[in-house]
Amino acid sequence: MLVSGYGVVAAIAWPWKAALFPLVIGVPLFALAAAEALWTLFGTEPASDEVRDFQLSIGNDTLRRTLTAAGWIFAFFAAIVLLGFPIAVPLFVFLYLKLQGREGWGISIAITLGTWAVFYGLFDLLLHLPFPAGWLFEWFASS
Amino acid sequence: MIEALLEGLVLVLQWKALAFMLLGIVLGFWVGLLPGLGGATTLALMLPFIYTMQPVEAFAFLLGMHSVTATTGDITSVLFGVPGEAASAATVLDGYAMAKKGEAGRALGAALASSLVGALVGAVALAVAIPIVRPLVLTFGSPELFMLALVGIAFIAALSSPGGRGMLRGFLAGALGLFLGTIGQDPQAGVARYALGTLYLWQGLDLVPVLVGLFAIPEIIDLVVRGTSIAGAAPAGKLTRGALEGVKDTFRHFWLTIRCSLIGTFIGIMPGMGGAVAQWMAYGHATQSARTAEERRGFGQGDVRGVLGPGAANNSKEGGALIPTIAFGVPGSTAMAILLGGFFLLGLVPGPDMLSKHLAVTFSMVWTIVIANVVTVIACFALLNKLAQLTTVRSSLLIPVILVLVFIGSYTSNNHYGDLVVTLVFGAVGYLMVLSGWPRAPLVLGLVIGKIAENNLYISIARYEAAWLTRPVVLVLIAITVAVIVYPLFQARRKAAAARA
Repeated sequence: MLVSGYGVVAAIAWPWKAALFPLVIGVPLFALAAAEALWTLFGTEPASDEVRDFQLSIGNDTLRRTLTAAGWIFAFFAAIVLLGFPIAVPLFVFLYLKLQGREGWGISIAITLGTWAVFYGLFDLLLHLPFPAGWLFEWFASS
Repeated sequence: MIEALLEGLVLVLQWKALAFMLLGIVLGFWVGLLPGLGGATTLALMLPFIYTMQPVEAFAFLLGMHSVTATTGDITSVLFGVPGEAASAATVLDGYAMAKKGEAGRALGAALASSLVGALVGAVALAVAIPIVRPLVLTFGSPELFMLALVGIAFIAALSSPGGRGMLRGFLAGALGLFLGTIGQDPQAGVARYALGTLYLWQGLDLVPVLVGLFAIPEIIDLVVRGTSIAGAAPAGKLTRGALEGVKDTFRHFWLTIRCSLIGTFIGIMPGMGGAVAQWMAYGHATQSARTAEERRGFGQGDVRGVLGPGAANNSKEGGALIPTIAFGVPGSTAMAILLGGFFLLGLVPGPDMLSKHLAVTFSMVWTIVIANVVTVIACFALLNKLAQLTTVRSSLLIPVILVLVFIGSYTSNNHYGDLVVTLVFGAVGYLMVLSGWPRAPLVLGLVIGKIAENNLYISIARYEAAWLTRPVVLVLIAITVAVIVYPLFQARRKAAAARA
């Protein structure tokens, strides 16, 4: 409701050409969201869990494991932004294998090197995709 | 006509054209497997290399590469739950669910066989439709294309979750997807809408980072929570033996595969709709084919029909998309627009000449689609056992590699860190949607179709004002939309009444 409400209010100030579609969609979206909210608050029929989608696994330690996974994903993102892809990729793969996976040194080094080789060979050497240096290096360079 | 058909085959089978096609197939194979690296991007990258080629060689190379990306994109979707291509996202829902049940081989077999059937249907459609397609394309103006988009949303929203409340959530997700599609500079007045003060959002939300986040992140988190391999505790030996079963499934549900192929071809013909739309329309139709509520509950949990439908549609759309490209010079998708660039580089002008003077070249394209798909499917079947075994590798080894693919795939969309933020945000949205039982499919279709729907609505109103609502095909499409919404409700009410009695 908040998203569609903001969308509709923001669209009112635009020229009609730009506002037409956001209003055509935003108003029904607000109405649908309001209906869902009312259903949640006052409805007697519970929401069916038979969605055509997969079901998340539930175990004893679900919350801790979910937070761990989210932490690794976010840490990888932070490493990419701060250090750049060329350093973040091997660093993340190695640390994940050693710390989270508790894998042996041999397999950790082999998979890290393999992943880095594919990354460097395909995306850097072959496709010349621009992977900028991380923000940390840019800060050091500018200071 | 037959003479030109055979001449086209002979042209493609010449050693140079065949060699370029095989090179294209190898490139397309890997492009399809890697998330984020799209078929259209690779076509654009390869375009400069065709300068020195003959037209038949150039199209064998480009089309050979492009027509296999959707097939191999399905492999990544099935094995890791990460869409290899934007056009392979729908395969994740049931394909990955099958892989988790230890049926990766069967899912891959079904995806490959249905892809082949789809490609053949698309190629046949291309061969026979060129003389008769003109009136069909001309019947569909902007009002009809806008309504077609709404029919698609209604299809997927009404069928993605049961009951009145499920449908409400389906439509809410679909409308949210359409709304998210309005982010960015609008095409008519140039206003930066909902850009949150960032330059990155001026161009709107790119599909790849959204899809990768929405589908891959929840699956990766779930894989960490389970702590097992993708196939988990599935019985050993079941994995690789199912490939033939998957092929049999394709023939067991042959008419469904054909119908979904025709949906793909039809969507491919419609300018601007694209493969990402075709697969969801086909998925919606596949779920509709369930006869009972019990059967319908199986979708999303690993029903093979949920793999067959999108698998067939995302390959058949290529033949369909080529029809307006060749016949009228109107590209049906981004990839076709790039291919159109190829026509001009080679000195060919799409239009009547392609149906008369260069008919053999046109038919060589049909043959390229056929041969490239047959070669790819045979190559994939040879590798299938090894590929399916990847689902038994323990998750601690797979997760870091998949995450690297996810982030690189997302980043390569615009080479901007904003792509990574979008992936994370939609990863969280996807996780919360799965957690609280909200369907993701309508959201994706809404986002995919949003810009197309907006353009067509604007043109409809600017050109016809309110009169566009009274056009005959629009009225038919409105009736279909109402029927799609009302029928499941009516069916549920009738069943409830029968149960009470």
